[in-house]
Amino acid sequence: MYQFFADIASRDPKNESPAVLREIPFPHFTGRVIDRGLKQIIRDLRAKHFDTWDWYSLATRADAFVVNQQKSTELLAVEYLKERWKQVGVVPYPHQLQTARRVIFDMQGQAILADEVGLGKTIEAGLILKEYLLRGLVKKVLILTPASLLWQWYQELHEKFGIIASIQRSEWDWRFSDILIASLDTAKRDPHASLIATIPYDLVIVDEAHKLKNSSTVSYRFVNSIQKKYCLMLTATPVQNDLKELYNLIALIKPGQLGSYRSFKEKFMQDKRTPKNPQELKVLLRGVMVRNQRDTGVVQFTKRIVHPLIVSLTPKEQEIYDRVTSFIRDRSRRSGLQNILPLITLQREVCSTFLATALTLEKMMENLEPDHLSEVASLLKDLADVKQNSKCDILERLIEELKDDKIIVFTEYKASQEYIRYRLERAGYKTLAFDGTLSRGKKQWIRHLFQKEGQVLVSTESGGEGLNFQFCNQIVNFDLPWNPMRLEQRIGRVHRLGQSRDVHIFNLLTKDTIEEHIMYLLHQKINMFETIIGELDTILLHLNLGKSFESEIMEIFLAHEEQEKIREKIDRFGDRFVKGQAEVKTSAWDLL
Amino acid sequence: MKQMVFDFFKLLHLEPVEIRKGVWQVQADDDLMKELDGWRAQGRLLQFTFDKKAAEMYGADLICPGSYRLHSIVQVIRRQGILSQAHIPHQYFHEPSIRKKVLSGLGAEGRAYVVNCSLPYAQYLQFEILVEEKGLQKKESIHTVMVDLSSGRVLKFAFPYHLLRDGGVGIEAIRKRKLGFKQAFLRATEHLQEIIEATDHTWAREATDKLTLEEAKLREFFQGNSDSNEYRAKEDEIKQRLAPTLTMDALRSALLLIPLYQYRLVVVPTRGKEQSKTLTYDPVSNWYLQDLDQITGDSPDRTSTHH
Repeated sequence: MYQFFADIASRDPKNESPAVLREIPFPHFTGRVIDRGLKQIIRDLRAKHFDTWDWYSLATRADAFVVNQQKSTELLAVEYLKERWKQVGVVPYPHQLQTARRVIFDMQGQAILADEVGLGKTIEAGLILKEYLLRGLVKKVLILTPASLLWQWYQELHEKFGIIASIQRSEWDWRFSDILIASLDTAKRDPHASLIATIPYDLVIVDEAHKLKNSSTVSYRFVNSIQKKYCLMLTATPVQNDLKELYNLIALIKPGQLGSYRSFKEKFMQDKRTPKNPQELKVLLRGVMVRNQRDTGVVQFTKRIVHPLIVSLTPKEQEIYDRVTSFIRDRSRRSGLQNILPLITLQREVCSTFLATALTLEKMMENLEPDHLSEVASLLKDLADVKQNSKCDILERLIEELKDDKIIVFTEYKASQEYIRYRLERAGYKTLAFDGTLSRGKKQWIRHLFQKEGQVLVSTESGGEGLNFQFCNQIVNFDLPWNPMRLEQRIGRVHRLGQSRDVHIFNLLTKDTIEEHIMYLLHQKINMFETIIGELDTILLHLNLGKSFESEIMEIFLAHEEQEKIREKIDRFGDRFVKGQAEVKTSAWDLL
Repeated sequence: MKQMVFDFFKLLHLEPVEIRKGVWQVQADDDLMKELDGWRAQGRLLQFTFDKKAAEMYGADLICPGSYRLHSIVQVIRRQGILSQAHIPHQYFHEPSIRKKVLSGLGAEGRAYVVNCSLPYAQYLQFEILVEEKGLQKKESIHTVMVDLSSGRVLKFAFPYHLLRDGGVGIEAIRKRKLGFKQAFLRATEHLQEIIEATDHTWAREATDKLTLEEAKLREFFQGNSDSNEYRAKEDEIKQRLAPTLTMDALRSALLLIPLYQYRLVVVPTRGKEQSKTLTYDPVSNWYLQDLDQITGDSPDRTSTHH
């Protein structure tokens, strides 16, 4: 019945590059006649393949319909994707549509998408890509992302835009995949980089483009060398420490937009962080950069409601906590602060579960001096004797109260994850585990199960990266991460665009432990839980700590034993953070 | 749009049934679903509607400008009909009237006799040509141009499409063409060139201005170092993005077989010897394929242009 359909694959000439049959010199432009369609017609003629006049007439009507549609200055993708978005629950925000329109119609596809975190840069980029595909303006597309985001890009393009991209696996892919997602770190290395340099791309998208701020890096030179008609750079932090970073990024997109570096420096830089002639510079930036910010009200996020749940340890648990803490202090005094990481882990684990603590202590035993061995052995024995976990008791009660809702329980440790699942399963709750060891497919499957029928998902952060759970609005921090970035990542899994309900954050907090200080810092000083602090990484970079956030806290904790003193130091550290936050906001950032 | 969708199913010999008000259903088999939704799709009852509310209520595929289902149907349609063939049968014209017209066309002086009459077909080639103007934005338009493959003329009159019947005719009845498909296509594009030259080129001027501006910025960035490979690469990128260009490409084509009336004549001029000649008349374009001057010495304006 559909005999004619069978021939389509062999008849589609789109993969061949057309030859120019004739150049036409018009007064203001050049014209050319190409043979793409003619080749197909002649091929059909030779094969004596004539379709019926009715099909021909219908096809000409369809041609006219499509061409008329494309005359529109509205986004075709919005209408096209309406049904799909309804199915997958995507609601495009006005600022995203406005950004796509600006990039396509005013910026000719050359832009830095610099929205603050969580405003949907990927959606904007996907929308622009889809629009270009529908208008027939791009065919060969390269998307460069960090390796950890490859799958997320693939999934978002597929689910939200119906774009089937490939993830780069071999050298073959560079040439033969039309829409390819690849890791920037892989692509910049030979032989890949040399291959890519020979391919003309219609559109190149670079995610996390702040990694290209330094023009002397291999990444920068590589992206600069790609032949590209349109280019989108996605970053929430186009400038971190130095206005030169911004200049470099813009030079990648539109060299000359800000003049030569010398003239830029003279005209627009007071010092490396403070701009001169900001109004003039803003105008130039607007020609190449789009930045939507939360405080301009582009998006109304739902509320974050924090519920601190104070856990009182039993005397036995408190005793173990104190012994482990004193062991850590002793170790740090002996070996100094050079090898502080295992001690930080141990200190955090003892606030989580004793199972996690015991496993770490066991590992540490291999490198301990003989005089410490007996102490650790005794600790391990006592840890094994503790049958109770007060945090888990509270967690069980909490889940009982919230039993009609889906809940994500976050913990930092795999051992704690297993223990929590054991306790909850024993109490009769259906749980699912989510962690970084799962394959992509399994992660998707677990997410799907959780959405459809799961009640409690016990997750480590690494497992949660790149996956969104807007269908859930209750999260429990079984243990607190010390770094605000990691905390934001946890909350960000559920509190993001598309979340229609207020998000409840339950923090399990052990009394008279370091967790109290951490909670004080993150909640009362930085106000991490209730507000979204954009550009956390920039603030941390700006603070110039010289060490990790966790190490900074640990050093305070190790240096002082009195609780008042620790609080005072934590207070000061919090003030530094808040000051840094204000500085970042009022310096070069004000430009954007 | 609605008619196009129903015509699509009609051409597939499928008849959509209205199962609820505004909701149609059609049994699509595996082949059709694969064409519409990709190789994994399987045959099913395809329900569609043109009404947003009905789509929401009954879960039928919505067909409206920009919708997925319309897009998939349009894509399948556009892959069909790349080359087609149709003809106008001779019987649509009244031969005695044509004979009379031909003979009277020879003028009052002299006499002419029809020795015999044959009914061959001429070949016209119709092109659907996509013209794409790319400046700061892209603008597309489709032009239909028909070329007579015997004479190379571009036809500029309204063609009687209503007389066309599907398919070709016996090969022995078709007159040989003097023009190949490629030459005919180039003729068609020459004709379009004339039309485009007379239109407004603001789009190109705007793009040129932008291009000049961007090139100046680029020169400033490279500070006179315009010999470097990087400069040239960036310059090429800008040109590729902003340089105004116009592209013509054939979308599809149809070979139209047009009835001809060919007469073998004996012409007896007022002075001189009688001559035996062949005269061919194209009733669609009202065109004599032989120059009648050779036959009767009449003025060319009466005979060599179409009326």
